[in-house]
Amino acid sequence: MKLTILFGGASFEHEISIVSAITLKEKLAGYELSFIFCDQDHRFYLIDSSKMKANTFSRGEHKGMSQVSLTNGYFEKKGMFSSTKHAGVVLNLIHGADGEDGTIASLLDFFDIKYIGPRIDASVFSYDKRYTKWLCEAKKIKTIEYEVLSSNEHKNINIKYPIIVKPARLGSSIGVSIVKEESELDYALDVAFEFDKSVIIEPFMCGIKEYNLAGFMAKGEFYFSIVEEPQKNEFLDFEKKYMDFSRSGSVEKAELSPAIEAKLKSTFEKIYENLFEGALIRCDFFVLNSEVYLNEVNPIPGSMANYLFDDFKSSLELLASSLPTQRRAKTNYDYIHSISKAKGK
Amino acid sequence: MALKSLQYNQHTFDISYEILNPEATVDLIILPGWGSNKELMKNSFGAYMDTFRHIYIDLPGFGNSTSGVALETKDYARIVELFMIHINASKDIILGHSFGGKVALLLEPKVLVLVGSTGIMVPKPIKIKLKIAIYKLFKLFGLTKFRSLFVAEDAKSLSEPMYQTFKNVIDEDLSEKFSSSDAKTLLCWGDKDTATPLSIAHKMQKLLKDSALKIYDGDHYFFMNHAKEVSDAIKSIFLKTLEHK
Repeated sequence: MKLTILFGGASFEHEISIVSAITLKEKLAGYELSFIFCDQDHRFYLIDSSKMKANTFSRGEHKGMSQVSLTNGYFEKKGMFSSTKHAGVVLNLIHGADGEDGTIASLLDFFDIKYIGPRIDASVFSYDKRYTKWLCEAKKIKTIEYEVLSSNEHKNINIKYPIIVKPARLGSSIGVSIVKEESELDYALDVAFEFDKSVIIEPFMCGIKEYNLAGFMAKGEFYFSIVEEPQKNEFLDFEKKYMDFSRSGSVEKAELSPAIEAKLKSTFEKIYENLFEGALIRCDFFVLNSEVYLNEVNPIPGSMANYLFDDFKSSLELLASSLPTQRRAKTNYDYIHSISKAKGK
Repeated sequence: MALKSLQYNQHTFDISYEILNPEATVDLIILPGWGSNKELMKNSFGAYMDTFRHIYIDLPGFGNSTSGVALETKDYARIVELFMIHINASKDIILGHSFGGKVALLLEPKVLVLVGSTGIMVPKPIKIKLKIAIYKLFKLFGLTKFRSLFVAEDAKSLSEPMYQTFKNVIDEDLSEKFSSSDAKTLLCWGDKDTATPLSIAHKMQKLLKDSALKIYDGDHYFFMNHAKEVSDAIKSIFLKTLEHK
């Protein structure tokens, strides 16, 4: 299969995306892969496959490689006298801003390029944790109670300590802290505000079970990964999660009752249907007293959650063969013609 | 890392900072030098002195802290002071490297730690004097386009307000402030420091009422290789302040 991996982006998760791309290069060995790197100034570079190492980017070596630009249907490398096409399906692997906020989705849609990844509306609802809550409310999916704080407005919190503070629009546990008492709150908020002006506050529940489930829809059917119970000492901090992004081994299937597993899958379907088609997503759930709560949706999970799939390669191939097509309005100027006719011109 | 927005003189400053050992009761505020950042300081001292609450701050205009206006050294001190009020920090120990040392002095802490600090003028080396004389001559003939050959390493690629700030703080002598300081002061210096030569430390020692000088092997950034020794010296000088009570 031919696949173009698009990674990098102007995001706090820029480096994580590089790690993800390098991991997938190994996982997808045998595929005809090309790599396109988006730098922090939104320039696209075609990266030589043999140069897919973290140092290439930290040393700025990519700047010596060919730049590519978007044109209708493909990425194009313009030479002095000719140009080379890079057509084929794109895998959007830019985490965080650009990749998950709908920017890249808009670009690729606009230029009519087929891609694996969330579409614009799916991005909007999953990128901002506040909107994910609203989506769940509309779809009757349970979530943990929450409050929103903003950096330019002070207000009291009604949720009882301990609480968890998260920037509204960031994944990977960046800027997340657990606050045990009020004296620690100010610093935790400043930590979150470094990344976003809006912050979500939820009660931190000891003993709550956490499960991750990845999956996608292809040819009208759902395909699921195994259910994973992520390791956590209190919660995954950034460094742990970062390591998570380079994961390529397989994990133990979580031990849970068939009833709960079925509930996780049906909740996944509810959230996915008519919104996330074209994307392989990972939903992170909480389970408390046999109730399933949606924590968050990762529409571009770290290294595509490859470690949760028995056969990741064919899963991705299946998804790539079943990407949504866009409906574009046709313009044939009927209206203008009819007016012109009526005016006798 | 964390970010706090402050208002000072009708301007907004985003101050980027990080706190280590949040439950400790003695505060250690750490101010980096010109053009430097809190990460460099944290990488040196973060692993030591865990009985203190470490507060690493990016000074306005550097690291992730912002400044859209020209400032003077005393503005830096006021902004840090304002920031300290916001996070409820006390002036137990303030450590400043290079330009940060000058700011630390103005904050009048109980224990002042100056690491390769600026604040006292020493005669410029003959090479620099010559450079300035030649440039002034060039300027006379309108040859200012050669400016980049003459401008100091620290002033290159600065934004307009930060270049003004640079001019405000560079040739500044705080001898009087050193004389009037009541802080218990620890001076830590690299013997091969060319940015702030050791002679500065000796002058400071003469002016300060209560100071000790520790000399280490290395240049202006010697502390990166001697963080443990410097930390031990800070701990012992802090313990001495407790004895007096």
